[in-house]
Amino acid sequence: MVRGSIKLLKDAGSGLSKTLADILVCPLSKQPLRFCEQTNSLISDAIGVSFPIKDGIPSLVPTDGKTLEADETIKTEDSEESSDKHEADGIGSH
Amino acid sequence: MVMALRTVTRKSGSKLLPRFSPAALLHSHATSFGFKEVREEEKSRMVGNVFSNVASNYDLMNDVMSAGLHRLWKDRLVSKLNPFPGMKHLDVAGGTGDVAFRILDSVNSIRRRAMQDVLEDDIQEETKIYVCDINPNMLNVGKKRALERGIGEDKSLLWVEGDAEALSFGDNTMDGYTIAFGIRNVTHIEKVLSEAYRVLKHGGRFLCLELSHVDIPVFKEFYDFYSFSVIPALGELVAGDRKSYQYLVESIRRFPPQEKFASMIADAGFQQVEYENLVGGVVAIHSGLKV
Repeated sequence: MVRGSIKLLKDAGSGLSKTLADILVCPLSKQPLRFCEQTNSLISDAIGVSFPIKDGIPSLVPTDGKTLEADETIKTEDSEESSDKHEADGIGSH
Repeated sequence: MVMALRTVTRKSGSKLLPRFSPAALLHSHATSFGFKEVREEEKSRMVGNVFSNVASNYDLMNDVMSAGLHRLWKDRLVSKLNPFPGMKHLDVAGGTGDVAFRILDSVNSIRRRAMQDVLEDDIQEETKIYVCDINPNMLNVGKKRALERGIGEDKSLLWVEGDAEALSFGDNTMDGYTIAFGIRNVTHIEKVLSEAYRVLKHGGRFLCLELSHVDIPVFKEFYDFYSFSVIPALGELVAGDRKSYQYLVESIRRFPPQEKFASMIADAGFQQVEYENLVGGVVAIHSGLKV
């Protein structure tokens, strides 16, 4: 049990398995998600929203999404970012 | 009609609903939380509270309330699914892992049998069972149980916090979809069904286990008494929480009857829609095929 817990913590630190990140899509746009190691989150570049990963479990409930700040979206090449961003504002605010 | 459309648009932003369907127009502002009428935005929060409250006692209460029968019902659900090694499966609202563990057991027992034969390499293609639940407390219970069962590290089990009405899986990616005792609690059943249809591959099966409607005269009276007098009292006694279990029995009565729910499944595009009543309709298993 103790060993199990330690392992769980380790997993939480390393984010989530590659297979999981690969199959998941944005719950709103249904576009691919990008794993961001720095923030330990999954980013939907299509709508400029990031979804947290808590204890190794990705949280992809639309209301858990946070609109990305402008500097975070610079990394992405998608030029439609800014126009979509404002409309995503509502989803993180519940 | 117009007002309903406006609410949906204001709430989520039109760009965020690229798959906006006419079905969304059918919803009114109000929905049910047990016998209470509540605003749509309220329901998910209130259901969330119920499941956060009951998560730690969830399995115990299921055993107490159903006299252990929920185990047989879940067995039946999984036997209808016919799990196979290498399958990609999505279990929605299955946070505590009850259905997912059964599917995994079933796959593993098939695999063991296959190994005794010959050439097993093809069969080793990775089975993936995704457990999706909107409530993190339920998922934590499931992950803990997986560790206790010694399958905490099993690569086949993947846990995702997500909304049945807006799934985070691609189109045509799943061989199977199950939802056990979950669909009753969602705000928009139609959205859940259309998402299930979307993520399933052609040939994929949709299976839903849900508390349903009893129509047998004397049994119905007994069942109503049991529901409204015994269950809330049990909830208070065992889990120290009467209200959550009052919600449970009320929400069962608000859920569409078997025939109506079957027609909703067909409306979502599924074929060969059928259902089986268990214990006279206390629960029903609905199934549909995406062809």
